[in-house]
Amino acid sequence: MKLKHLKIVGLISLLIAAILTLAIFGFSCVSGLSAVGWSGGTVSNGVLYVGSMEGRLAAINLTDQSILRAEPLKVAAQGGLFSCASALSCGGGTSRVPIYGTPVVSDNIVYVAGYSGKIYAYNTINLASRWIFPRDGYLSPIVGGLVIDQNKLYIGCADGFVYCLDATTGDLLSSYQTGDKIWGTPIVADDTVYIGSFDKSLYALNAGDLTLKWKYKTESSIIAQPLVKDGIVYIGSFDKNLYALNAADKTLLWTFTGGNWFWTQPVIVNDMLYAGCLDGFIYVLNPNTGATIKIFDNEEISAISAFASQPTSVDNYVIFASEVGIVYRIDTSTQEIKQLAVLTGSITGPLMVYDGIIYFQTQDIAIQRIDVETGALLPSISLISG
Amino acid sequence: MNIWELIIQQPLTNVLIVISHAFGGNFGVSIVILTILVNLALLPLTLSQIRSSKKMMELQPKLAELQKKFAKDRQKLAQEQMKLYKESGVKPAGCALTMIIQMPVWFALYQSIMLALAAVPEGLLNLSRFLYPWDVVFSSIPMSPYFLGMDLATPNIVLAILVGVAMWVQQKMSTMPTDDPRTSSQNSMMLWMMPLLFTFMSLSFPSGLALYWVVNSIFRIVLQYRVTGWGTLLRRTPKDTGATKKYLKFESPEEKKMTIVDKDGQIVITDKESLKKSQKKGFFDKFKLGGGNKDDQEQDQDQDK
Repeated sequence: MKLKHLKIVGLISLLIAAILTLAIFGFSCVSGLSAVGWSGGTVSNGVLYVGSMEGRLAAINLTDQSILRAEPLKVAAQGGLFSCASALSCGGGTSRVPIYGTPVVSDNIVYVAGYSGKIYAYNTINLASRWIFPRDGYLSPIVGGLVIDQNKLYIGCADGFVYCLDATTGDLLSSYQTGDKIWGTPIVADDTVYIGSFDKSLYALNAGDLTLKWKYKTESSIIAQPLVKDGIVYIGSFDKNLYALNAADKTLLWTFTGGNWFWTQPVIVNDMLYAGCLDGFIYVLNPNTGATIKIFDNEEISAISAFASQPTSVDNYVIFASEVGIVYRIDTSTQEIKQLAVLTGSITGPLMVYDGIIYFQTQDIAIQRIDVETGALLPSISLISG
Repeated sequence: MNIWELIIQQPLTNVLIVISHAFGGNFGVSIVILTILVNLALLPLTLSQIRSSKKMMELQPKLAELQKKFAKDRQKLAQEQMKLYKESGVKPAGCALTMIIQMPVWFALYQSIMLALAAVPEGLLNLSRFLYPWDVVFSSIPMSPYFLGMDLATPNIVLAILVGVAMWVQQKMSTMPTDDPRTSSQNSMMLWMMPLLFTFMSLSFPSGLALYWVVNSIFRIVLQYRVTGWGTLLRRTPKDTGATKKYLKFESPEEKKMTIVDKDGQIVITDKESLKKSQKKGFFDKFKLGGGNKDDQEQDQDQDK
């Protein structure tokens, strides 16, 4: 009897061990090991361009919801058996390239960059390829988005470089090396390119030749896209601070400390700055002084969850989405927050509003649509091909 | 955040980050130190497991003897085996139990390393949930993945090979020598399967995880050496137990037969004295298997007489 008992205990123990092994390895594989992407959308001439989680540019005609898809982005190299460390999806064995940056449209060309380290330009009409940079080989992963200004394309790369390309031909015009990886999106204002780096600094570069104007060092790395308004640069850092700097000479105007990272760019509407934080709060500040006007905390936000999605504004509203899938609308005139919609999946990609509808991509490879006024959840548009 | 994350994963991750900060942001050093610290914390359990394995190893001849004796009576065999375990102070379930207690800690460490590495944007975003509100933690993120010229966020062939070699050595040292062909082939499969599996996994995951496996294996090798020596790593193991070869056969320890019979290619050794002698010389060194040297056998017989 005793032996039987021991045998059963042994078997159960081994079974538990096996289940634990599978569970933990399986769990680990889906909790942030794999690069998936979170590209947002941009609308031009009634067509929504988005980098789909299938690893290709998709153009959705918003009138009839027909979808045109470009060729899948090129895969750099297989990362291994399970591809967990590579640019590819984990465990799926697929070869899709994650796209994080939102496509940009300029002069009938749509631009998008892939995590595999290439930048692509397509004709807006038929998504035919115009050029690829680099033509041969790959850069390091590209996480941030790109900006176009005066026919020049600016983008940061994980190799630490900021690249400036000719937007028409894709030729490299100039580059600037920062001290570490760049995962952020640049912004161009007054002939200056502002971009944050993992080396904890915000860089201000001359847009013409990417020479350094100034750099400002914070206490931790910067991923958020800077916001430039009325001669002030606003930038969030991983040191939990939101900084306001004089754009001309990097003089520190004020800082505001949140409870976690400021992951995304803030929004200014009606002379009020709205900053979502990974601590799950939304801070409303005076953009000139940094004084707190209001904090949307757990008394007004139903489920505290990180604000990792780039907010957007329309008319008097600012739209935020929390990671757990809740979309909020703040009326900037009354400072009232309304829970617009609750989705089952998480939201990490940027929000975009066009013609009264909020658009964003979710993990099920679909574009979600929410009516700004009513909060009605409109039928989603699947981006899955085939 | 669930209980597992709150009480295990979050503290380990933050400790990892703080150690990294203390060593100039070197994540590799942080992995090495935390792996050693966790190993030290689990030292009593690990030692108990190794000692149990050692005792089991020492009991192998007696177990083989029992198996021969009670080959047709499974119940009696089980009873005798349990009796032997009890007399020798060996708890077969103890090994598995120790492993089960250790396993969550290893998983947590593994998860924390992967989490803190934050090799991809989703990983970094996920990491933000686990951080304690300490300035030292926030100023250390994201951590530099470079260690001895290697990028710990990407797979590394050198570390992958090291994982395989270290695991093979550890496995070899802890493998119990056996003359049972079935157990022998199982051991042989495990000896190669685990190192190969982990080598392939190392080629697929960030090499920070491979570094953890290497340090962990080296720690276990050192412990194993301290307790059991090199084990079967430097000992000869039975190569062939085919039907045409000579077998070792043990009678029950209770029986005091003093005769040695060489009949139909089988050597029968029956008393404890000769058994002890043979163990002192190195169990498998003393007896030549596979139709061994006749002179050696005769020498052994003379000694036993």
